[in-house]
Amino acid sequence: MRTFYIGDDVQVQDAGPAVAILVIGGEVDYEVSPQLKARIMRAIKAGKRRLILDLTDVTFIDSTAIGVLAGAVERLDETGGGSLSIVSEHEKVLQIFEITGLESVVTVHASREDALAAVAMTG
Amino acid sequence: MPPPSDTINASASELHMLARRSELGIARKYAEDVAAAFGLDEDSRYEFVYAVNEAVTNAIRHGASDEEDMIHMSIVADSERLTFAVSDRGTFVMPEVEGAEVSPGGRGLALMASLVDEVDVHIDPGGTTVRLSKVRPPGLNSAQAQAG
Repeated sequence: MRTFYIGDDVQVQDAGPAVAILVIGGEVDYEVSPQLKARIMRAIKAGKRRLILDLTDVTFIDSTAIGVLAGAVERLDETGGGSLSIVSEHEKVLQIFEITGLESVVTVHASREDALAAVAMTG
Repeated sequence: MPPPSDTINASASELHMLARRSELGIARKYAEDVAAAFGLDEDSRYEFVYAVNEAVTNAIRHGASDEEDMIHMSIVADSERLTFAVSDRGTFVMPEVEGAEVSPGGRGLALMASLVDEVDVHIDPGGTTVRLSKVRPPGLNSAQAQAG
């Protein structure tokens, strides 16, 4: 079992004030999804509109956490628009995104650099 | 007369735990260990453990009145399938299945159904039991799995 963690906000020079990068790892389940929700909502309330969640080290993400991510997209839509980008290459995590339909409301990238480049292109 | 082969090869175990979010990791470890002993490959084990986690999460969310309530789990492995059951004293809350539409709370059952071979929800006045089954992979008998 890999322990859940959320790292400190990642600062990227020239990424722009509306971009937030959160790094999450381990197993994301019903026990820890409230922590994930709190961090995402804090970023949105702080004015971040382009959220990048680096889930490279996430090995498990349950339906309650998927609900948190879907809720974040809804909150961004309700408060003037934005985007949620996810970084992951974990085959099973991506399978869960597909089954739940999450992949239709977020963009998934193979690396943090790819996600940042895509955010920069869309403004 | 010898017992049927299913009886010879069947094994069963039980786990009882408090209905707390913090216990979910224990439930996943229990499912992982039994699935490995049964002989499921890595992909199938992940799917089985994921489905178990969803069922137990649902029991904690909707089947318990507080964190002192108990969740009862059992796993039976026979010659054909591995079956996990989780029982609680609550009324099963049927998650909505909305295809590609993503909405909070609408994913659990659909996920379970897509990851295991069979999902059975039994509701009676005393509570709810959810059973999840994975069929034994072709060519692998229970003796081989236990030896491996």
